Amino acid sequence: MDISTLLQSILNGFSSAGIYILVALGLTLVLSIMNIVQLAHGEIYMIGAYGVYYITTSLGLNFFLALVISTLLMGGLGIVLERLCFRPLRGQFDRAAIASIGLILILQNVVLSIAGGDPRSYMSPFTGVLKILGVAISWDRLSIVLFGFGLVAALFLFIRMTKTGQAMLAISQDRDGAALQGINIDRISMAAMFLGCALAAIAGALVGAIFSVSPTMGGFALMKGIAVIILGGLGSIPGAVVGGLIIGLIDGIMPILTTTHIAGLIGFGAIIIILLFRPQGISGHE
Amino acid sequence: MNKRILIWILSYGILTVFPFLIPLFITGPYVTHILILTVMNIILASSLRLINLSGQLSLAHGGMMTIGAYTSTLLVVKLGLSSWVALLLAGLLAAVIAGLVGFPFVRLKGIYFAIVTIFLTAMVTLMAQQWRSLTSGSYGIYNIPRPDPIVIPGILNITFTSSVNCYYLVLVIMLVSLIMLYAIEHSRIGLTFRGIQQSDSLAESVGVNTAGLKVLAFSIGCFFAGITGGFYSQYIMAIAPDTFGFLFTVYILIYMTVGGSGKFIGPILGAFILTILPEVMRPLKQFQPFFFAGVLMLVIFLMPEGIVGLPGRLKTIAGRLFKEQQERA
Amino acid sequence: MLKIEGLTKHFGGLAAVSDLDVSIGPGETVGLIGPNGAGKTTVFNLVTGFLRPTKGRVVFEGKDITTKKPHYLAGKGIVRTFQATNIFPDFTVLKNIVFAHYLRPRISFWETVCHTQSSRRKEAEILQRSHKILELVGLEPVAGTTAGTLAHGYKRLLGIAIALAAEPKLLLLDEPFSGMNAEEVGTTMQLIDRLEQRGLTILLIEHNMRAAMNLCQRIVVLNFGKKIAEGSPEDIRENKEVIQAYLGAGEVIA
Repeated sequence: MDISTLLQSILNGFSSAGIYILVALGLTLVLSIMNIVQLAHGEIYMIGAYGVYYITTSLGLNFFLALVISTLLMGGLGIVLERLCFRPLRGQFDRAAIASIGLILILQNVVLSIAGGDPRSYMSPFTGVLKILGVAISWDRLSIVLFGFGLVAALFLFIRMTKTGQAMLAISQDRDGAALQGINIDRISMAAMFLGCALAAIAGALVGAIFSVSPTMGGFALMKGIAVIILGGLGSIPGAVVGGLIIGLIDGIMPILTTTHIAGLIGFGAIIIILLFRPQGISGHE
Repeated sequence: MNKRILIWILSYGILTVFPFLIPLFITGPYVTHILILTVMNIILASSLRLINLSGQLSLAHGGMMTIGAYTSTLLVVKLGLSSWVALLLAGLLAAVIAGLVGFPFVRLKGIYFAIVTIFLTAMVTLMAQQWRSLTSGSYGIYNIPRPDPIVIPGILNITFTSSVNCYYLVLVIMLVSLIMLYAIEHSRIGLTFRGIQQSDSLAESVGVNTAGLKVLAFSIGCFFAGITGGFYSQYIMAIAPDTFGFLFTVYILIYMTVGGSGKFIGPILGAFILTILPEVMRPLKQFQPFFFAGVLMLVIFLMPEGIVGLPGRLKTIAGRLFKEQQERA
Repeated sequence: MLKIEGLTKHFGGLAAVSDLDVSIGPGETVGLIGPNGAGKTTVFNLVTGFLRPTKGRVVFEGKDITTKKPHYLAGKGIVRTFQATNIFPDFTVLKNIVFAHYLRPRISFWETVCHTQSSRRKEAEILQRSHKILELVGLEPVAGTTAGTLAHGYKRLLGIAIALAAEPKLLLLDEPFSGMNAEEVGTTMQLIDRLEQRGLTILLIEHNMRAAMNLCQRIVVLNFGKKIAEGSPEDIRENKEVIQAYLGAGEVIA
């Protein structure tokens, strides 16, 4: 194996990691603030990608504008879902999760009946390759890395610097205590759903630009997101970043070291082992 | 007292015999197929409820059916085992795998357990796609033989080349499964499961090995999923990695939830109604996912106990109305 | 009978319990008191196996039980009650007690599923014993009531009855009087007295100093996870550090 193949797969790993982290951050944010596993998260990701597809192809707007519009729309959808679906079920984990499964069916089939089942694609604005040390790096992959880690940094700043972010942190650590301190859980839950869904939409749109969009693309994202948050520790934001990096790099590098099916199973094995020895994940606490 | 027992025996007798008589009146391959699916769904939803009884929400049924289907298929096709032995081993392997992964899984409480079981189903599908030397990958395996004929020379010769006989077979499997599930639920183990569901730390404090029993419930539930998966592959004579995927698993969960997981009859009713209804109302067929999701949402938000909770709910509403009227009078 | 040596538990960076030594002889009733957040319930969780200590040992009847699981310890005779989730709300009162006879007598999986002769005999025995326990704690009149609908005081009593059904040698009671009215406190104190007379060893967490003083022969006082005093109720009442701890926490010794 030559060095450029290795570098290429590491970059692929990082770009996968970028996507996984964006998806997992949304899941973990909603989980830690609302105490709900939002299983329709993958559908938000998928609709975010379709949003960009329709806005760029039908309205003819450029990718970046479409990305912003689609992201805001998905954030808005998140708020609507929080109000209509998840708020009435607060505190009932099982029923909220089952309701989110109902949402999967609804959202996926709405898209299926509008857009059909065939994959669609749109042009990535990032074309061409960047040559560093003889290694060709495609800009579209690199853009995901930059977007992913840029948004992680932005989210960290948001949580550290803003009042809403601090309130989120407080709720995730001690719900009842936060409520006693006068933090408005309704408002923060809406903010969490907005952010979570917006991040998922961005991830979906970036993936759609490289590959294609289809009504069933959300399942893959949900699985990866779940794997990441189990590995990193349920409800932990740094955990989601670390977990995303690990799983992304496994997915990027393993295929050149072994066959693909073993690579897929290594991820699973890693999760089982983590659960055996650290049920709370890499950076979760008891 | 004797009269009550008589009525009890009669009603259950009729309920048991009736499904066996259906093929005498309604025939046709499509109807038979729907009947078989209904019966399968009843086994699946009821066995899912046993896992639920111990306080766990499992979405591993699809994965376990896939394991069962491939196990039975490979044992018959590659090793030439009897289809009956293969079917039993399919259930057992699913139970063993559930037991092995169960120990790390049950350390996760509540909904986190559900998450890892979704993950398990996805991994089984992935494995079936990738392990090409064994499973022939995404194409799946075709021309799986139907169950071996049951032959007692001179007396009995039942073949399963006809779908109707497959229906009878799955009906027998269902009856045996339901009796087993009922016996387990109404035994001391069932009581222990229900105690764990209500408070696992309290159960643990009086000496219940809650982790072990949760794994046991998971494993028993998955046994039935494995058997059902094995049966289906023998009936359809084919298996592919995504035959029982996430969506399939979700439907089983919907049958159980809509029927009502609080009572034994709940999942049976749920599976029956939700499998038959879309067929009876043809236009629904096209919108099946919407229909399922709609019914599910309705139950989640308005009928927390599912269909089985409906009579009680109506009774309280009727009682309230009656009282109001009396007060007015 | 029970020996706690150098028991320490850290949560993150914080020490909830640090370097605690306590020993309890057979038949003794020992109180564990201290202000809120002193680490009392953590000690219970450590002794009964619900938490693993960071450091230290727990020895019961001469055997190291530090890393054992709660259900195993229940089998050895260490049974606790809980402050919050202390009953099975969907079962009747009687069924709560029947359930708690999980270990004694033990009915095996096949016995129960096949409903054998021996399992029926054991079930009958359990039923008889359950009624006896309900009589002892005074819950017999409500045996058929769904536990979740009981009044608060009854729920607390039922919690103790569940623990008794598991046949403890060492009973750990976590604030048995919390939320009870004066009359219920009286009944419960009588009950605990009777258990003491039967020779049961009891470790009791109590917030209410007076109740603890009345019931216990010896009292251990915790503050910020450390033992600050140990002795007879009289000694403790006079102990300056204890008074300080309670006053510092804004509480009054009754």
